[in-house]
Amino acid sequence: MKAGNVYLQDLSRGIINENPVFRLLLGMCPVLGVTAFFINGLGMGIAATAVLIASNVVISALKNYIPSQVRIPCFIVVIATFVTIIEMVLQAFQPDLYEALGVFVPLIVVNCVILGRAEAFASKKPLLRSLVDGIAVGIGFTLALGILALVREVFGQGTILGPDPDSAIQLFGAGFEPMGLFGQPAGAFIALGLLLGVVNIIFKKFNIK
Amino acid sequence: MERLLTIIFVYILVENFVLHRFFGICPFLGVSRKMETAIGMSMAVVFVMTMATLVTWLLYSFVLVPYNLEYLQIVTFILVIASLVQLVETTLRKISPTLYQGLGIFLPLITTNCAIMAVALLAVREEFTFVEAVVFGLAASIGFSLALVIMAGIRERLELAEIPDVLQGPAVTLITAGILSLAFLGFGGMFTL
Amino acid sequence: MREILRLALTLTAVAVLSASLLTGVNIVTEPIIIERQEKDYHQSLERFFPDVDHFETEEIDGDQYDIVYDQDGEMLGIMATVETAGYEAGLIYNLAVNDQGEIKGLVIVSHAETPGIGDVITTDEFQEQFTGKGFDDPIEDGEDVDSVSGATLSTGTMIVSVRRTVTTIGENFLDKQIRAFDPTEVADGIYQGSVEGTHGILTVEVEIADGVIERVDVIEQNETEAYFVDSYPKIPERIVEEQRLEVDTQTGATLSAERIVSAVEKALEEAPTVENGGDDTDEGR
Repeated sequence: MKAGNVYLQDLSRGIINENPVFRLLLGMCPVLGVTAFFINGLGMGIAATAVLIASNVVISALKNYIPSQVRIPCFIVVIATFVTIIEMVLQAFQPDLYEALGVFVPLIVVNCVILGRAEAFASKKPLLRSLVDGIAVGIGFTLALGILALVREVFGQGTILGPDPDSAIQLFGAGFEPMGLFGQPAGAFIALGLLLGVVNIIFKKFNIK
Repeated sequence: MERLLTIIFVYILVENFVLHRFFGICPFLGVSRKMETAIGMSMAVVFVMTMATLVTWLLYSFVLVPYNLEYLQIVTFILVIASLVQLVETTLRKISPTLYQGLGIFLPLITTNCAIMAVALLAVREEFTFVEAVVFGLAASIGFSLALVIMAGIRERLELAEIPDVLQGPAVTLITAGILSLAFLGFGGMFTL
Repeated sequence: MREILRLALTLTAVAVLSASLLTGVNIVTEPIIIERQEKDYHQSLERFFPDVDHFETEEIDGDQYDIVYDQDGEMLGIMATVETAGYEAGLIYNLAVNDQGEIKGLVIVSHAETPGIGDVITTDEFQEQFTGKGFDDPIEDGEDVDSVSGATLSTGTMIVSVRRTVTTIGENFLDKQIRAFDPTEVADGIYQGSVEGTHGILTVEVEIADGVIERVDVIEQNETEAYFVDSYPKIPERIVEEQRLEVDTQTGATLSAERIVSAVEKALEEAPTVENGGDDTDEGR
C-alpha cells in the first residue's frame, strides 16, 4: 500500500506538480521549436520520453558502479547513445517526422529535463521508481508539447493532424483566414506565454502547489 | 568574403538563434533578469561557441567522416563540448582569476545550452567550409548575446511594471520575447544564404 | 593513482559500450534508411517517367541531374535535384523534364519555409502551374505562372529557380539554344517594352544605333523602391556592356532584375529587323 503510494506520487509529481514545461520551464527549445503542428509536437514528446525512460533506467541500474567524479560525463554518454538510437530509428521508420523535427532530434541530448532527471532522481533512487519517474516526466513533457502544438496548429493553420494533406482535417470553412502569427516563431513565444497564464489560473483554482 | 558577411548578418539578425531558431531558450529565460549577468553569460557563450564549432568541425571532417563514423556525431560532439567547458573553466581559474570570477558560474550551465550543440550540428549539416563554420559560430553566438542583452534591458524595466497576477514571471517574459521576435521578423528575407 | 585509473576505466568502459551499441544499431538501420531514400526517389521517378529503367547522374553547379532512360536505352528525360533558397535556406526540389524540355512535374523534397505562409510551394495548386511549361516558355512571374501574394519571396524565387533549372537542362542535355538575340539584326531606333511588375507596369526604353544597344532606360516602374535600387541601373548597364540579354540577374532584387531583362526582350521582339536579318536565330524564344 505504502509502496504504491510512492509510485502514484512520483507519477502525479512528474505530470502535474512539477510538470517540466509548465512548472519548471525546462527543455524549452523543442517546446517552442517543433510545435507548429500537433503531430510534430507529439512526435517530439514521444521521442524525448523514450530517451528519458531509457536513460533513467540505465543510469539507475549503473549508479553503484559509476564513481561520482565522472558521473556527469557518463550520464551524458548514456543519454547521447539513446538519442542517437532514436535518431536512427526515426530516420529509418518515420522519415517524415524525422525531417520535420530536423536538428531538434539530436538536440534532445542537451534537453535539460533529461540530464536533470538523471542527476536529481535516477542516480539516487531505485530502478523501479526511476522508471516510473521517467514515464511520468515524459508524459508531462509530451502533454505540454501536445497542448501548445494543438493551440498553435488550430489558430495558425486552421487544421489538426497536418501538415500532411492526406491526414490534415480542415476545422473551419473556406472563410477562415489562419492567424499566420501562430505559425511564426514570435507566435510560439506568445502562445506559450499565454498558455502559462492559463495554467497558472487552473493551478490557483484547484490550489495545486 | 561576401558569403562570410552574409553568414554574419543572417545569423545575427535574420536567423537569430534565440528569437528565430529557438536554440538556447533556457539560459535566455534564466539569466536575462539582470544586465550584468546577461553580459557575463554572453561573453562565456561567444567564447565557448566559437571554440566548439572550431573543434567539432575539425573532428567531424578529419576523424568521423574518413572512418565512416558519422553516427557517433552526437556522442562525440557532446563530449567535446563538455570537456571544452571543463578545460576553459580550469584554465581560466589558473590564468585569470578575475575573469573566472565573472564567467565562472556560467560555464557549467553552458554544457546543456542547446545553442552550443546546435551550432556544432548545423555547421556540419549546412556543409560550411572551415572558415565559414568558425564565422558561423561567432555570428550565432553574437546573435544569441544580442537577444540576451536586449531581453535583460527590457526585463529590468519590466520589474517595475504592473502585470496581471497570473502572468507574473516566466509567462510575461515569454510574451515579451514573442514581441521581440516579431520585431526581428522585420529582418526576414533581407539576407539569404 | 589507483583512483584515477578507476575513473578512466569507468569512462572508457561506458564509451566503448556506447560506441558498440551504436555501431550495432547503425548496422541494422543504415540499409533501411538508404533503401527508403532510394525507394522514395524511385517512386517520384516512376510517377513522371513510368517506363524508367535506369539513369545516369551528372552534376552541374552542385545540383544533380539524372538522365533517365527506358529499357531500350532511349532517353526519356531529366530528373533534376536542385537546392535553392526560398525565404529560408535549404529548399530542395526535384524537377522532372521530358526529352522535349517540358516540365512533367515538381516535387519538394525538403524545405524550411514558414508554415502557413511560405509552404504554399508544397501545394498542388502552385506546383501544377509549371506542368507542361518548357524551355520555350517564359516561366515568369505574372506572365505564364504566378507567385502567391503574401509569400512572394518563397514562390517568386521558386519560379526563378525553376526557370534556371529548365534552361540548364535544355542547354546541357537537350541541345536547346538559349534565347538568342543579336543587336546587329535589329533596325536602328528607339523601342519600348512593358511587363507586369510588383505593383504595376514596368516599361523600358531601348535605343539601338548601328546594331549596338546604346542605352536601356526604365521609364515607368512601380517596384519596391528599396529592392529596385539594387537592380537599376545595374542591370541596364550590364546589358549595354555585354551587348546581350543573358546577363547575370543575381542582385539583391532578382525579381526586378529579371523583369527588366524581359521588358527589354519584349521591346526588341516587336522591333523590326534589318533587311535579310536572320529571323531564324531568334527562334529560341
